[in-house]
Amino acid sequence: MNSMEAFVPAEPRTFEQLMLPHLDAAYNLACWLLHDPHDAEDAVQDAFLRAHRAFDRFRGNDGRAWLLVIVRNTCFSALRKKRREPVAVPFEDELYGSSEDPAEANALAWQEIKGDLLRRALERIPAEFREVIILHEIEGLAYREIAEIVDIPIGTVMSRLARARRKLQNELLTLTGKGSL
Amino acid sequence: MNCENVRPILGAHADKELDLVRQMELEAHLQTCSECAQRAQALAASRQALRNSLPRFAAPVQLRQRILSSLRPEATPAGPIVSGRRSTSWSWRNLGGMAASLAAALVLGYSWGNRHARADSLWNEAIGDHVRSLQVGHLMDVVSTDQHTVKPWFIGKLDFSPPVADLADLGFPLAGGRLERLGGQTVAALIFHRRLHSINLFVWPTAQGLVPTFRGVRNGFRAESWSQDGLNFIAVSEIPESELEQFIRAYRDRTK
Repeated sequence: MNSMEAFVPAEPRTFEQLMLPHLDAAYNLACWLLHDPHDAEDAVQDAFLRAHRAFDRFRGNDGRAWLLVIVRNTCFSALRKKRREPVAVPFEDELYGSSEDPAEANALAWQEIKGDLLRRALERIPAEFREVIILHEIEGLAYREIAEIVDIPIGTVMSRLARARRKLQNELLTLTGKGSL
Repeated sequence: MNCENVRPILGAHADKELDLVRQMELEAHLQTCSECAQRAQALAASRQALRNSLPRFAAPVQLRQRILSSLRPEATPAGPIVSGRRSTSWSWRNLGGMAASLAAALVLGYSWGNRHARADSLWNEAIGDHVRSLQVGHLMDVVSTDQHTVKPWFIGKLDFSPPVADLADLGFPLAGGRLERLGGQTVAALIFHRRLHSINLFVWPTAQGLVPTFRGVRNGFRAESWSQDGLNFIAVSEIPESELEQFIRAYRDRTK
């Protein structure tokens, strides 16, 4: 440490200091993607090891985004193995008309939706769509951060979220016996 | 704007991701179109439901321990990540971490040269500003709950633009802003409310130097400082630690 640095407040710089605060975020995402607490633990531990191996390449201060990229990639690999088939990449047609809500968009009384129902509905939509909802609504990440983590353009984050909400709404209507839109 | 070009961006509007111009155009349309307004309301309700009722799973303690022991060379002498070079660099990183903790401890209360003195006086000043702001009539130069009123107010008064976020849905409504003197420079002060309490958030560019990091209670007021995207921040309030943490996290998240 030279004398100049002594006057700049030290920022946390070790792997543990930068990454461990985001363990909950990592575990939460893994739980939602994999639906299984044990699988989630394995995936998160694996992700931390990978992150640690690649830590030399880490630049900047946003440990969370960097870690979550590795976590989500680890989870999607696990999902692929489990399903023994490639995870479908959603076709990004959402911007061109099909993302518009159906006319019955307001049929759902959101205030009456209970947490358990919401959770079951969310578990029924494809992982690629569930992911953006979790990152946005639970982790509170902005479009820009989600774009970075999922590695898609910001416009696609917007359209994928719109489509995810629509799918979620359809599942909720199915679960509450009001039929699919 | 008409329904056709409003509909695809209603979600981005609910998520507060639109730029100012598009947001204003869209809101003008919502004033005149009840169907779009209804959809906007439904979207807001769905966001509210999702954020209120989805659980956030917390990592089990044993997972944290498993990860820690797999990362620390001394705990896993034969572990796959412990090559000679890596374990050396890792121990250097640990040293760096110790230095960081030590520095933080120094900033937090032990006398140590200029940095400590600067942190100390900034901390006291920020609390003093906060206390004065609580006295009647001195809280705000611009009184508004609308981020799009508060943000432009600073333009022309400062040579930077403080990020303003709407946190009303989390129980931290924006109350206004004012100019303040802090550490010999003019800074932006944003005022948020928490029930009957206030939070003062002081913002200024890092061009004049990074703010010393501190976090703690003094004279019954809690303060925390950080830097992000070229700006320094100090939040001061008398609310409980957990609530100030929640505020800071939400503010940082929404202004990124």
